[in-house]
This record gives sequence, structure tokens and C-alpha cells, in this order.
Amino acid sequence: MAERRSKPKNQAATTAAAPATPPEVVLPVLAEKVGVYICHCGGNISDVVDVDKVATEAAGLDGVAVARHIMFMCSDEGQKAIVDDIQALGLDRVVVAACTPKLHEATFRRVLQRGGMNPYLFLPANIREQASWAHPHSPKAATEKASALVRAAVAKAQMLEPLEKVRVAAVHRALVIGGGVAGLRAALDLARQGLGVTLVEKSPFLGGRTTQLHTVFPTEDPARLLVHRLIAEVKAQPNLTILTETEVVALTGYVGDFTVTLKTTPRGVNAELADRQAAIAACPISVANEFDDGISKRRAIYQPYPGSEPDLPAIDWASCTRCGDCVTAAGGRGIDLKSDPIETTIETGAIVVATGFDHYEPRVGEYGYATSPRILTLPQVHRMLDPEGPTGGRLEIDGRVPRSIAMIHCVGSRQIEDVDEPGPDGKLHEYCSRVCCTATLQAANQIRQKYPKTAVYDLYRDIRTYGRDQEPYYVDASKAGVVFMRFANDARPTVELSDGADFPLKVTVTDTLTFGTEIEVPVDLVILSVGVMPRDVTGLIEMTHAPVGADGFLLEVHPKLRPVESAIPGLLLAGTVQAPMDVTESTSAASAAAAKVTALLAGDHVEMEPFVAKVDPSLCDGCGLCLDACRYAGAIAMQEVEIEEGVLEKRAYVNPVACKGCGACVPSCPVSALDVAGWEIDQYKAMIDAITAEPLTAGARS
Amino acid sequence: MIEQRIDIDALVVGAGIAGLQSALDLADRGYSVLLVEREASIGGKMIALSKVFPTMDCASCITTPRMSSAAHHDNITTWTYTDVDSITPDGAAFTAKLTRKARYVDEDLCIGCRLCEYACPVELPHEFEGNMGARRAAYIPFGTAIPQKALIDIDGCVYCGKCEKACPTDAIDFGQKPVSVTVHARSVVIATGFETTPLDAKKEYQGGVAANVISALDMERLLSPNGPYGRVLRPSDGKIPDNVAYVQCAGSRDETLGVPYCSRVCCMYAIKQTMLLSGSLPLADITVYYMDIRAFGKGYEQFYQTARSMGINFVKAKVARIEEEPNGDLKLRVEIIEEDGRVSEMAHDLVVLSVGLKPGDDPRRFIGVDLDQYGFVASPEPKLDATLTSMPGVAAAGTAIGPKDIVDSIMEASAAATKVATYLGPPPNSPQPADDGVQIDIREIEAGDALAVAGHSEVLRG
Amino acid sequence: MAGTPTETQATRMLVVATLLCSYPGIDATGQAHMEYPPNTYVIPTPDPVMFPESFYLHCFEKGIDGILIASCGTDSPYEGSYEQLAARIPKVYAQMKARGISIRRLKLTAICSVCTKAFLKEVSDMEAVMAELGPVSGEMTAVTA
Repeated sequence: MAERRSKPKNQAATTAAAPATPPEVVLPVLAEKVGVYICHCGGNISDVVDVDKVATEAAGLDGVAVARHIMFMCSDEGQKAIVDDIQALGLDRVVVAACTPKLHEATFRRVLQRGGMNPYLFLPANIREQASWAHPHSPKAATEKASALVRAAVAKAQMLEPLEKVRVAAVHRALVIGGGVAGLRAALDLARQGLGVTLVEKSPFLGGRTTQLHTVFPTEDPARLLVHRLIAEVKAQPNLTILTETEVVALTGYVGDFTVTLKTTPRGVNAELADRQAAIAACPISVANEFDDGISKRRAIYQPYPGSEPDLPAIDWASCTRCGDCVTAAGGRGIDLKSDPIETTIETGAIVVATGFDHYEPRVGEYGYATSPRILTLPQVHRMLDPEGPTGGRLEIDGRVPRSIAMIHCVGSRQIEDVDEPGPDGKLHEYCSRVCCTATLQAANQIRQKYPKTAVYDLYRDIRTYGRDQEPYYVDASKAGVVFMRFANDARPTVELSDGADFPLKVTVTDTLTFGTEIEVPVDLVILSVGVMPRDVTGLIEMTHAPVGADGFLLEVHPKLRPVESAIPGLLLAGTVQAPMDVTESTSAASAAAAKVTALLAGDHVEMEPFVAKVDPSLCDGCGLCLDACRYAGAIAMQEVEIEEGVLEKRAYVNPVACKGCGACVPSCPVSALDVAGWEIDQYKAMIDAITAEPLTAGARS
Repeated sequence: MIEQRIDIDALVVGAGIAGLQSALDLADRGYSVLLVEREASIGGKMIALSKVFPTMDCASCITTPRMSSAAHHDNITTWTYTDVDSITPDGAAFTAKLTRKARYVDEDLCIGCRLCEYACPVELPHEFEGNMGARRAAYIPFGTAIPQKALIDIDGCVYCGKCEKACPTDAIDFGQKPVSVTVHARSVVIATGFETTPLDAKKEYQGGVAANVISALDMERLLSPNGPYGRVLRPSDGKIPDNVAYVQCAGSRDETLGVPYCSRVCCMYAIKQTMLLSGSLPLADITVYYMDIRAFGKGYEQFYQTARSMGINFVKAKVARIEEEPNGDLKLRVEIIEEDGRVSEMAHDLVVLSVGLKPGDDPRRFIGVDLDQYGFVASPEPKLDATLTSMPGVAAAGTAIGPKDIVDSIMEASAAATKVATYLGPPPNSPQPADDGVQIDIREIEAGDALAVAGHSEVLRG
Repeated sequence: MAGTPTETQATRMLVVATLLCSYPGIDATGQAHMEYPPNTYVIPTPDPVMFPESFYLHCFEKGIDGILIASCGTDSPYEGSYEQLAARIPKVYAQMKARGISIRRLKLTAICSVCTKAFLKEVSDMEAVMAELGPVSGEMTAVTA
């Protein structure tokens, strides 16, 4: 088949669009016109290996039409000899015995193509690195080995079948899941490069967690202005759709052509709402405001901050009672309490997952959390320090500025078994959250600057101000009089309520900076630097089969070389869904994901190498053992096929798009119905037969 | 000098892992790329590393496929041993002046057989091996070099002519001259990488003086399976060390050296090396003197904790001075912060300085981009577009922007490719964007479309 | 030089080498002109996990006297494949024993792309085994079933 499609539903259309596919021809058992070419490599091979002898012996093999030896096979002369022979002699397979295939396999495949042959009918024999260079002092034995390797290559070549790259028609559109900085950055980069983009955000507002910050380190740019600048550019893109309050509810298909069902909940509010303040004020509901990390309340009709994107309130259907008071207050215009979601189905070539993170929520009692209003998390304090936040930028508890504050690092990060208890999700968070050190010191410096009389104690394990222009926060904090105390890898500070005492809280720490002295710090406020937690995206994981790492973040293909690709082709990772990152790193990851998407969808088709598993349906009896052996989701499935009229039976079916070609399924098959195209077991056996066909005559050192 | 002129979509300066990645991403997208490298092989610093943290993959094993993909890519032309002299804006594009230095070997004729190398009688220090071990004056830079083409170190050559006689393809050409090339490039990626801070930056550490005070990059070679000695030996006398010390921040976080910033990779490479050392020298004591352990990347903290549990001794301390003993051993004056701040004298027989990272080149030498005070390329939009530069059409990636590890370099390299591709616009014959047929975009809601409130799909856009 | 093979008895060793890591490692051995005996035949595979027990038996029947499986170890490009491969080896050994073949003739190894010395050592070890045991044909029993 010239083209293999991932989804049966498209089979008909694709076959029609594909170049005329010849009907399945029964190939001759063995090819009969193999051309064999032995390279001298200018002496590198021929000084040790008797290339004339190897060529003469090859010429005598069954099925070999021609065997030549040439000074440089990779040269124009060598390449031309092959093309000429293909055309003059009608070669059906080509073997080149030369250097390692890593150097010139691609070269010779192209030569076959130029000669009008299928490029996969080429087979290399490595007689330089693995003969002349490895056995320079045993010329006779090296020659004998070279001949054996050529025999093996000819034997396999005779059994090679023409292969075609696995191709999937590409939809030139990308779905970006998540409207925070990473998702926005990816969507903008993709749209600007000429792809259609659908950007979906689960909440009613764009911008993600960055909008909860007042300024971002280290530039101290106003965070919301920064994000809004990005949003404005995103909104200016013509081929980009932005959907808020939208979730992915179904997903099928493969790279190049996914079908995704989106569920969109109405906002309940549109621009015809004239007096939003009146409408909001009319709402009788009061719930915790997630935008302020729970330190303030909001109504069921709400807007997180003035000028949010979009700059329109939304209705939180979960808490709204449909009482209609807001509609009345709005004069009946601009609010609609019909909340039935609608579903839309889109086709997309690739998916960028940018679903972001959650803050670690400490257990009740972890460093005293939730036992006192004076024990807050850093994100909560960020909201209080924000001049546009719920307190107008005042860090006050019960109307008073704290005299003394302890900031504790690594809450929900760098957890160690038997030292820390698992978090509320039941998991130990062993990883470093990467951003909290600098964020904590940034807040510490702000507090010292704003309230010079407030003492700040910083309780840490290691200060990780690693990034560009981050070290100055550490230096400044020391200069600003922040008192650092260091607790050991296996020790933790404690926080106790001390009712009636001058200071309501007592923090105790064994400080390794002062010879392991146990120090009691009386404070008015404890700030917990909570870590970055993987957001629960179970639904998405189930739909996509995207692998998840032990730390709960989505897993990349390779943590060093391929950080933004998931193991699912066409599924890319951007930002904190993959690992803790700051804004700079998230946007870089998003731009990197965009690079992978545009390369995937650069042409009309997504193309992949054809070395994937294949099933011989005449042998397969549908036992299903291969399913257990396969490690790749969707690579092998059982399909009902009509083996004769009216008789349906299960047979293994390999999806060439999902298969990686490792061959793990091959030995699992009790009836040998499976093979990897281009690497078939019978071909290997033929190679072994060929290698052992002639007795060894040369002594090892002759 | 002979002049050539070529046209290209993107000129990538530097063929380390960042430059390779940018080039590959752009080429995969269909742009023509010229990848230039001043050294005689592509691969940069990564190809010389032993293993990489935290996966412990052999660095060569994961770098060579990338090198080979770039070298064989239809859309990438790779020029090694090429200097960039200037890149100047020319309308919306750039004119670049390059010099292809003389290898004294015809690259087209050379088949990489190394017969010249075997014939050459001159032995010179082997740069790739941190000058441990020797190479010839006629040589291929290292085993996994790409291209596998010889060059002649003309400064070390004695003009004996033996290589010329040995060469089976007559590729040796002592008359070769540098070739000046003008490249018309529509965009540029700066990936000029890093150099380590000098071994002798802190005189009190005796780096470059005491033979057994070595840099971490030297240790990478010692630990490499294809390294100079094939095992870990100390340089002065070939003794197998049994008490190794790492001195962290030996060139970073130090205002007096002009490197007040954190170099980001030193904690992790030191941890990795100590783990490799404890494998190859199971009886050796290994101590890491550090200020803060910065294991911040994905899986890094877990890696650090593994090293601790393996018995590597991590000591929060400041190393004040290192002295060499007559037998080559080293005496370290250490202020151990964790105990009582007293200064202790610690004996070790090999000391590794965890040197920092500084820019590998001064990009201002050839292009007018803004740099920060330390010489790293600066972005006008560091939070949202870290790989942009002050010049439209010019992006930067990897350690040219600031110290960073391999994964962050690769991420940025791909991001830089996106920035350049956006600047270039889609290649000719690119497919048209597909419509999704969705009609409930937030922009309609903002525009006040009543029906959009309920999200009905019959509302038509535009 | 790895072990010097015996001149008297001609034996053959097969190395199935994983394309991504072991095969280049073996190439690097030749590239460095590090010699090993020429009766060693290296054939590439995407991953040796693909070979069923019967393949190894076929090799021995045809006169391959020793087999090295050069895998990437836990660096396998295919997730989990090394564990699957390692789990298969005891099954191959069982079949070898049933045929009277010494299980020392088959060894699972990990060879990385710069593991030239490790490769030489494995070849040398297997050469020694083959020299000690002689050709496989001498110890194989006929198929009884």
C-alpha cells in the first residue's frame, strides 16, 4: 500500500486520493537480479580485504545479476554505476559492501530512487569498520568474513519487500489546551507561522496563574500587563479561535489527524451587560475566591480583577442558584442563565498540552497550616502584596502589620521518605519546584522594603536562585537584613501556636548555620513557600494515553534531548504540565513545542519510517498475546475481520502510526504471524544460513 | 582569497547542541540552513562529556545521532572550521562574511581513513582530551567527530611530507588558503555557546599550578569510556585517587571574579561525576564542598538525594585555600559552615574545581546585538520571548544567552527556531491553515453577540 | 587484542547489535583499529527483543557456536524492552539445555556507542567459551519430538 491511514473511517477517501496503488502482487519468493558492489574505500578496505575475490564469489551466488568492485562507492562514479546497472540490467535489489551504514545508507537509498527503484530494496554490508579495520592483520580471514557478510546481505536482500513511508494526511491546525502563558505563547507562535489554531481554556478567563502575580522576577515587569500584551497579540490572529470555559471531552485519531470533541459552557454574560457592578452586587452568593487563593470571597457572577481577559464577568454555574437577581439588576440585558453546554468537534493535526500547575496545598497541620489565619501560603501573600489585590497591597493580619515573619521553604517540595509525610494527594513530592526560592526572596525583599520594621526570617535548605538575574535577590535579601536559617536535609522546622504569648506563633528550627543550635523564633506570621504540583489532568491522560512520570508531571520522550514531545506522536508539552518552570522557561518551552508542531505539519502529510510491525492475517489466530507484549498505546489492537463470508473473527491489527518498530510483539506470537517490516525473522535466518553456508578455511591470523 | 557567495534562509552560528537543534528544527520545517562551526567538528561541548545527568546516558551516544542528522539533512549545509567575521543587516536580511579556514586537507577528497594521522610523526597535546594524552599534527579531531575529515595543525607541523605520501586520495594540500565567503542569510541564530571560567581564576586554589587540581571538564574526559587514559588517574603521577574533593562555585557566584551569577550546571555535573567516580573508584572517599546545592531541574533533586544515599559526602563549606604537597597531594583550608565555622585542614589527593560558565564568544565581534553586562545575549522581551535579540531576524539560544544545561539549551534552541521561522514566514508552497469551523470565539462574546451568550453554534463569525 | 582464537577448531560467533547504541560502539572498535577475531559476525537489529527462542536455536543448529546479544541495556530506545528481553533469556536457556547446548554460548550484554573496550572483553570472553567447548555441533542433540 502506498499509504496507510490511521483511522479506518478515512480509508476510502485516502485510497482515492493516494497515487494509484497496485493490487497486492504476490512477490516472487526470492529476488533474482541483485546487484552487488564492493567498495575499496581507496585502500581502507582493499588493502586488507581482497575485494576482487569477494566480488567474484558474490557474482557466483544465486540471484546475483552483477558484482563489481569500485574505488569509492560513495563517489559520483560509484553511484552512477548503480544507476546504470539498475537501468541496463533491471536490478531488483542492491547490496553495497562498504563502510558502516550510518555514513551512507541514506546516500545509497537515494541512488536507488534515482534509478527508479524503491529505496528500501537497498541493503548495506559493513566491511570497513567490521572487517578491514577490525582485522587488519588477518587479510585472508577478513576477506572470508567480508564474503560471508556479502552472502548474508544478498540472502536478506533477496527477501526484502518494497516499503513505503507511513503517511498520514495532515490537518493544518493545532489545538492548544490551556490559556496561561505557555498556551498563549504556543498559540501565538503557531498562528503566526500559518497554522490554524484552536486555543481552549477551562476557566472563563485567559492568562492563567501569572495574572495572580503583581510583578514577575527578575524583570519586575507588571505581571498582568505582560500577559495582556501576549493576549492582545493572540486575539489579533485571524486563523485562531479562542474558547474559554471549554474542555476536551473526547479525542480519537493520531498525529496529523486527531478528532477532538470540545465542551463549551456558556459564559452567561456578554458585552450588552451595561452595569456589571450592579449585577455582581445583586448576587446573594458568596464563595471562596480562587483567584485570591481563598483569602477573599466572590459572588457567583464575578470577574477576578478589573480589566481581566476577556473584560467581562462570568457566571460560576456550580455556585449560581439561578435566582435571577443579577438579571433584574442588569435590566434584563447581557445576562442569560441558560447554562447548557454545547459540544463541538474539530479536526486537528497536533495538540499542545499547556494545562499548567496547581499550588501545593499543605495538609491540615503541616507547619500549622489551616490551624491559624496567621499561617499563609506564599501565593496568598502574593495576593496581599499586590496593590490591586484584595488588601490593596497591605500585608496585615487583624489590621496590624506583622512585626516578625518566618518564611519556610520547600513546603511540598524536596520531600524525603520518613522525614516528610505525604501531601494531601497521598504522594511524596520529591522534586524541587524550581521557582519558590526566588519567589520567596522576591517577597522577602518586598516586605523588608515596605515594612522596614518587620523582621523576616528565611528558613531554607538550599537557596536555588539559579536563573539569570536571580542571584541578586539573594544578595539583596542578605543586605536587607533578612535572617537566614538553614535546616538540614533530614530535619524540619516546627510551627506552634503560642496563645497568650507576645507573639502568637513560635517557629523552632535547628539551624545548621549556627552550629546546629535549636532556635525559637517568635513570629506574627508564617509564610509557607508551597511547591508546584502537577495539575490533575486524568481525563486528558486517559484520552491521549500520554505517559505520566513518577512525579506526576507528564512525561517527555527524553528528559535531556526531547523535553517538549510526549511519547504520543503529535502530542506536545508546553510549560508546567511537564515540570516546574518560571514564566521565561514556560514560554520557551511553548515556543519549542510550536517548533515541533510546525515541523510535523510542514507538508501535506506526516511521514514516518516504514519499519513497523506487520501481521500475516493468514497465520494470526487472534489469541491476543501480542497486546500484552506491546508497550505502545494503540499500536496493536484486535479487529473483527470477515475471514470468510459471514464469519467474523478477531485478528491482530498494527497501527503503523503508533507502532515504534521495536519488535517486542514478534516473539510473543505463538504462530509467528508478526514481524517488523525490513527486519523479518526469516530474513535473519537466511542471513545466518548464508554466513554458515561456507566452511571457515582461513586461520584467524592468516 | 577565493570568494564564494551563497543564499540561505537561516545562518546558525555554532554547532554545539543548541545550534544543532535550531538547525534541525528549521530544516525540518523546510528552510535552508547554513550551520557554521569554528572548530573542525560539530558537536560542541556536549560531545566531550562523559554521561549526562540525571539520565546517565552516555553523552556521545545521544549527541552523535543529532550530529549525524544535521550533517545528513537535505536542508542543512554544515561548514566546520569556519569563522564568522561579520553579519550586517541588509534590508530585511543579512550579509555575513565568513572565513573557511585552511585545513590543509581537501574536504571533498578526504575519506577519513586516518592514514595521514598514522604517518604523522608529530605529537601535540590533545585539546579534546583536556590536553591529557596526545594527538598528531595531521589528525581527525576525535573518534566521533563529524565530519570525519582530517586537518593539519600547521603550527605544529614539521613539513615532513609523510602525510602527503600516506594519503590514498591526494587530499593533503599544503598550499590551501583560507576561503572568504559572503553569505546572504534571511535570518540568524546565535548559538556560540560557553567557555568555562579559567582554572586559574582563583589563584588561591592553585588551578593550573598544582597538577592534581583539575577542572570538571577534564574530569569529564577522565570519566569518559573513550577518555585519554580509559580510567580515572590523577595527572601528576598516574596514581589512582582515593580521596577526591569537589570545590563548588570555583568561578561562579563570586563578584571578585566578575561572575556573580550562578552557572546553573556545576552542582549537577559535580553530583553526576561523584556518582560515576564512586562507580569506578568504589573505595575512594568523595567530598563535595558547596554553598547551596542547586538541583532544580526535572528529576535533579531525586538525583541529588540518590548521591547522598550512595555515601557521597556533601559539606556546606567555603574553601579558602589549596596547597600542594611535595607528593602531589593537596591540603585544603576549609571553613566548615555546618559545624562551628572553624577552619579545618582537609587532605585530598585529587581536587576538581567546579568551574563556571561564561560566554564562548563575543557576538559583538561580528553582529550588533545587545548583550548583558556579562556578555550574554540579551532579549528585549526576556519573560515572553527569551530567545529574541535586539535585532529583528536574529535569535539566540543556549549558553550564548546565559549558563544552562543541555535540556534547557535544547528547549531554547527549538524556541529560537520558532522565532526565526516566524520572522521568515512560511516556506513557499506551505499548506494553508485549516479552519476548525468553531463559531463561539470569546471575541464574539466580547463583541456583544446575544446568542453567543448561550454559545449556540448557529451564530456565524465575521 | 582480544583473546586469540584457536587455530585448530573453526568456530563462529554471532553478535546481534542494537542499531542505536551497540552497533556504533562496535563500529567505533573497528574505527580505532582495535582488533578482535574475524570469526565474529555482527548483524544489526532495531532491538534484540524481537528475536524468539527459535531464532537462537536456528543459529546454533546452523553452526553458530556463540552468540552475544549486544543490547542498549536500560538505555534502550524502546521503553521497557530491555526488561522484556532479559525475561526471555531464561526461556532460551531452557531450550538450549534441552538440546544439550551449553548456556554459556549465549550471553546478554549491554554495549554503548563508545563501549569499545567492553565489546572487546565480551568478544574475548565468548571466544574463550567457544575455544573451551569447541564447535556447537559436537554437543547438540537431535530434536527428539
